[in-house]
Amino acid sequence: MKLRYAMVCSSNQNRSMEAHALLKREGLDVASYGTGQHVKLPGPSLREPNVYEFGTPYKHMLDDLRRKDPELYRRNGILPMLKRNVSVKTAPQRWQENAADGTFDVVLTFEEKVFDMVIEDLHNRNHVLLKPVLVINLEVKDNHEEAAIGGRLALQLCQEFETIENWEDCVDDVIINFERQNNRKLLYSISYY
Amino acid sequence: MVRLLGSWFIAPIDASLLKPIPFLAYVRFMWILLRLEQVRIGHWLTAMKSMTGANIGASIRSDSEVLQESAFMISVWRMISFANVFILSKFDTERQTVDDNFKLAKEIRCLSILCCFPIFIAKRRIFILCCFHFIQSIAAIARKRPIYYKSVLSALLDFAPSFEVAKARHTVSIQYSLRTAFLGFLRCTHPVIAESRERLIRELRAMNAGDAADQVIRQMDKIMKNNERASRDLQLIKDDQLSNQLHVSGDVTKKRLAPVDNEDLNNSSDTTSKRLRYGLHNNIPATVDFNDARQDHVNGISPKLPVSDGDLTPEEQIIAMIGALIAEGERGLESLEILISNIHPDLLADIVITNMKHLPNNPPPLTRYSNLSLNRPSDSSSDPSQVVASNGFPTIQALEVSAQVHASSSNTTSLPFLDMSTSSNPSTDSKRDPRRDPRRLDPRRMVVPVDAPPSSVVEDTANPVQYLAAQSDNDASSLSNPPVLPPLPSISESTSDLVMPSADTDLNLSESPLISEGNQSIPKFEVQDVEDNEFTPGRETSNGLHHLSSPISKVEDSVVQASIDVAVLDEAYSPSSSEADQLSPDRSTFEASEIASTEFPVLPLYIGLAEEHQRNTRRLALERIINSYQNSHRTDLKQTQIALVARLFAQTDVNDVIGMVQQRIVSDYEQQKGHELVMYILYHLHSLVISDPASSAAVVYEKFLLGVAKSLLGDLPASDKSFSRLLGEVPCIPDSVLGLLGDICTRSQSGSDGRDGDRVTQGLGAVWSLILGRPGCRKACLDIALKCTIHPKDDVRAKAIRLVSNKLYAISYLSENIEQFATDMFLSAIDQRFSDSVVSQSADSEKRVGGQVESAETSISGSQASDPEISQNDNTKGIQNASLDDTSIPSLQAYSLMSLFFALCTKKPTLLQLVFDSYGLAQKAVKQAVHRHISVLMRAMGSSFSQLLGIISNPPHGSEDLLTQVLHALCEGITPPPDLVATVKGLYETRLKDATILIPIISAFSKDEVLPIFPRLVQLPLNKFQMALAHILQLGLNSDLVVKYLEDYMEMGIQSSKGSAHTGPALTPAEVLVAIHDISPEKDGLPLKKSSMHMACIPGALVTVITDACSACFEQRTVFTQQVLTKALNQMVDRTPLPLLYMRTVIQAIDAFPTLVDFVMEILSKLVNRQIWRMPKLWVGFLKCISQTQPHSFRVLLQLPPPQLESALNKYPNLRGPLTAFVNQSSVQTSLPRSTLVLLGLAPPEEHMQHPHVTSSLHASDPSSSVRGATFT
Repeated sequence: MKLRYAMVCSSNQNRSMEAHALLKREGLDVASYGTGQHVKLPGPSLREPNVYEFGTPYKHMLDDLRRKDPELYRRNGILPMLKRNVSVKTAPQRWQENAADGTFDVVLTFEEKVFDMVIEDLHNRNHVLLKPVLVINLEVKDNHEEAAIGGRLALQLCQEFETIENWEDCVDDVIINFERQNNRKLLYSISYY
Repeated sequence: MVRLLGSWFIAPIDASLLKPIPFLAYVRFMWILLRLEQVRIGHWLTAMKSMTGANIGASIRSDSEVLQESAFMISVWRMISFANVFILSKFDTERQTVDDNFKLAKEIRCLSILCCFPIFIAKRRIFILCCFHFIQSIAAIARKRPIYYKSVLSALLDFAPSFEVAKARHTVSIQYSLRTAFLGFLRCTHPVIAESRERLIRELRAMNAGDAADQVIRQMDKIMKNNERASRDLQLIKDDQLSNQLHVSGDVTKKRLAPVDNEDLNNSSDTTSKRLRYGLHNNIPATVDFNDARQDHVNGISPKLPVSDGDLTPEEQIIAMIGALIAEGERGLESLEILISNIHPDLLADIVITNMKHLPNNPPPLTRYSNLSLNRPSDSSSDPSQVVASNGFPTIQALEVSAQVHASSSNTTSLPFLDMSTSSNPSTDSKRDPRRDPRRLDPRRMVVPVDAPPSSVVEDTANPVQYLAAQSDNDASSLSNPPVLPPLPSISESTSDLVMPSADTDLNLSESPLISEGNQSIPKFEVQDVEDNEFTPGRETSNGLHHLSSPISKVEDSVVQASIDVAVLDEAYSPSSSEADQLSPDRSTFEASEIASTEFPVLPLYIGLAEEHQRNTRRLALERIINSYQNSHRTDLKQTQIALVARLFAQTDVNDVIGMVQQRIVSDYEQQKGHELVMYILYHLHSLVISDPASSAAVVYEKFLLGVAKSLLGDLPASDKSFSRLLGEVPCIPDSVLGLLGDICTRSQSGSDGRDGDRVTQGLGAVWSLILGRPGCRKACLDIALKCTIHPKDDVRAKAIRLVSNKLYAISYLSENIEQFATDMFLSAIDQRFSDSVVSQSADSEKRVGGQVESAETSISGSQASDPEISQNDNTKGIQNASLDDTSIPSLQAYSLMSLFFALCTKKPTLLQLVFDSYGLAQKAVKQAVHRHISVLMRAMGSSFSQLLGIISNPPHGSEDLLTQVLHALCEGITPPPDLVATVKGLYETRLKDATILIPIISAFSKDEVLPIFPRLVQLPLNKFQMALAHILQLGLNSDLVVKYLEDYMEMGIQSSKGSAHTGPALTPAEVLVAIHDISPEKDGLPLKKSSMHMACIPGALVTVITDACSACFEQRTVFTQQVLTKALNQMVDRTPLPLLYMRTVIQAIDAFPTLVDFVMEILSKLVNRQIWRMPKLWVGFLKCISQTQPHSFRVLLQLPPPQLESALNKYPNLRGPLTAFVNQSSVQTSLPRSTLVLLGLAPPEEHMQHPHVTSSLHASDPSSSVRGATFT
């Protein structure tokens, strides 16, 4: 069954975009979001992150960082990541403001905090369709290597869901199988649109 | 709509659904529908109840197999859990109605189910989903409604261990969900929740969530501290303003709990009165403990509560905070707004009440209130908290004042629900009167003319109206009691200020039904973040009230009515009334009630959903069901799916989905599930139509049925029975579908794809089954069938006629109609009326007459299964007809029109009487048509003609031709049965002297019978005689003679029958010949016949029919063979006298059979012996015969006596030469008498020397006679 996926991390830069790029390449119907207040990218030091508003185009960030310190950002992989993101979509989107994007069947988060926020946000929305949405948390560390692995896992999981007819029926099996195969712990919950 | 839905909600839960079917799907969509259709929760719960209660137990017990299969149990529980989840989800999302829903939920012991719910979670995977929602939902409830917190918490705590059972389930996620819930509790500052904080932390630690818990606690502590700081600031400000000093101390929890403790200090009479009231209102005993809890909560903040100790109640604390914020001015205003909008309405109410005691004794400047009153009407429909926010702290006081007014006015009218403790405050009220005045008066001036004082107040009291309405089920009897009202005037006399309030109360009561009717489900003062669309009507209603001005007397009249309405209303919204009950004893004044009614309004029992949403969601649901189960082959799934799709479809905007459903239906039709689905859908639509004739469901129904029918016709082969079955089983058949059916039957809608005929059969088949199976549309269907029976297209007609005559006519209730129709058509054909009605119908047939005729002819043969030989004749006939343009069309039309009638005649021969009766009136063309029918009919009737005998024995005038036709057809190929023969004979002897009618039966006649009538037969026209001859001789009717005859006469073919049983011909051909020759014009009185065909060759003889008869015989060379002629001629030559035509026959015989020459010579010799020359008529023939048969005849010629020889030679001079030569050559010369020789000039003449001259003169005349002879042959 054709499902609609959302990949959510906090800044909609690394993990969610990695997964987004991968799923998109595989032809799945996917979108990606961040749940944070702002888009934060590592800066020169831990205390000086680069902060953008959601909706700022990746292109703009790319240009901005290139201007600031191309060497640093190339080294820490930010520039390649932003280039990748530019090819996927225009700008980071905020999960809490995505009501207009329609409903998703599966929301994949990459951090427990994000998971909580998604759940809470969904709860706070007006339930109109009563269409169930499956929210799954796949814990992925926020670095490029892990993001790449996490993206592949996300793809695997989503493809798993593609093959089944009603995820409501066998979500447990899918999740448990996935956990066994990949030795990862998932969390999931449901909410309603 | 709601009613209907309610009924079907319960309806599906019948025995069939109580099997282990996938409740998941069912429940899921019920659930969606529940929202979509705004079905009343009551209905839903009833359904749930029927699921949970005895029904399930009973069905389980009755089916032990099912019991063993735990799937059943699981399904049921799945359903229940979904229901609960749903209800709970409403708790979560629909904040206004939480309490009411919760009460309903309790009614089905929702909580107890929820508590056992975890037990079942272990059993089925889907329950994990329920778990999530369960946890989330009840956690949300607990946060929103702290009074339920204890129950919820215990449920959750119970839940926690039990999910351990759910092995192989993803318990981590559930646990996480629980964790989230508990953390949510921790964040909550509500005292009840805070009370159990320790427990929560313990639980969280057990879940390895201690860190998170600590974090939350830290956060909360921080918040607390902030609160305290704010309170402290407040206190400082208040110190200046308020006489009553407040202390801010201790933690919030403790403060909050204080009033609860104080409850016992409440005056006892109050408590008893409350109890009493509950006793009256004991319809929800289950709710009592919750009510109590509620009381605790509300009573704790009652205004009467003596705040004797120094501890601040939470209300006071917040009031202090508000004061502090206000003191900050503009800056504080914003935060104040946020604060107030976040304050729980209950709490807000309490705050206001509490604050009342801080009211200053002196009225504030008047302007302030007039300002306020100006604001009031416009703001009246807005969130009270916003009002508060915008106007600042004093506004609260103002509101509170108005509340007080109401309380006091209620007191003075001494309505029974008044609390004594409240009414003991009149002094306070009167003190505040001056302040009330401007507020009361201002809006009145603004909105309504002065002469309608009571109504103007309504705008201020819109909320109390509701409040009182809700409340009045307690007091309805006393309020509606006229005796209660009289005190009003007296009170108004005593205190003029109180007049209006008291009037208000009355008016409110009378208006309340108006309001509640106007927006039953809509809270008047809905918090604005609720849907706007619900909100607007409420405003309208209140506007309407603004302009309503009714004198008090009128109000009094309507009070009774009002109270009744109120009572009704209360029934419908009993939760609300009980809610009001809780509040009423508290005397929590107007403000409290206003806020209460804001929060717990007249119940919105439905969840509002924008139209667009509804439609969209319906469509989504439908699509999903259809698509997701498309490939499923599980019948039980299908079953559910069908039921769901049907219901959804019936309530969905059809245009969106009709195509999709149709496609699905047709694709699935083979498995009969499509059919079932259609039936479900149609029946649902139909039920909608029935329940609401004005609804659009009828249109939808028609459209859908038509669409399905068409697609069935288009997509399925004609042999498929689905179409017929569809029509047979649908709840009702609209006209358009009948029209479609008619089109199919008449082939007018389908293309020329070669399957037309099948389609016609299909259509007629459907018509047939409808007639049999649906008495309702029997008439219409019969009409279709009958219309087809006169259809210009022949296969349509033939099929329809077969249907009508073979199948339908036998049905007793139809036969009369059919007969009537057939008769009408027949008569119209006879009267030529059809030319008006039918010509138009068959316009196309006229355009192509030739082809039409062709096909008509072939179709007759086709439908009657005749053999090819005859149909060939048909073709020739058809061509003939085609050449007769003007007559053939009426004939064909007549033929079409009469077909049915004749088909019926087969079944009911007595109908033929009409044919006979009207035959004489008909035109030729019509007669032709009748002839064609009748012969077919007679053959079809076979041996059952006996009923015809009556008609035959007494044929109406003008029907002779028809009669003959009938007889021919009857006797064709068989020996006429004796009774028929007797009848016809009788007819012939008595009435009808025409021998024609005897022809068909003549083969049954014996020789003795034939001979007397033979002259009559001969006398008939030649063709009829030939027919008779054939019958007499019992020739096969396929002989050329007969066929030719039939062609001429009937203009249509007749099926021939070969090899029929002959008993032997009545006469041999020879006898026939003899009989013909025996006829003498004198004896038999034969009239001369003017025949244009032949000129008699017999000089002076009468040209009679006999000649023709003979000729006819000779034409039949296969019958009248050489031997026959020989025999006949031999018989006749000995007769005396010789038959007149004897020589003619002989000449014909020798012409026909030259080999007979020797025999003829013998005859001639005999004739010579009989002195043929004495019979002048025969003598001419004799000589002619001699002449024609020379030279064989020379011997005979020489036998003639010399005078005759001479006369012969004189007559035929050309004989002389050959004869002389003959004599010279042969040896006969010696035997010849001398006179002969002399005559021939072979002997010297003695005295006859002039003879040659004579002969030469004779000779001269010879050519003419020989020419005649030539023509004769």
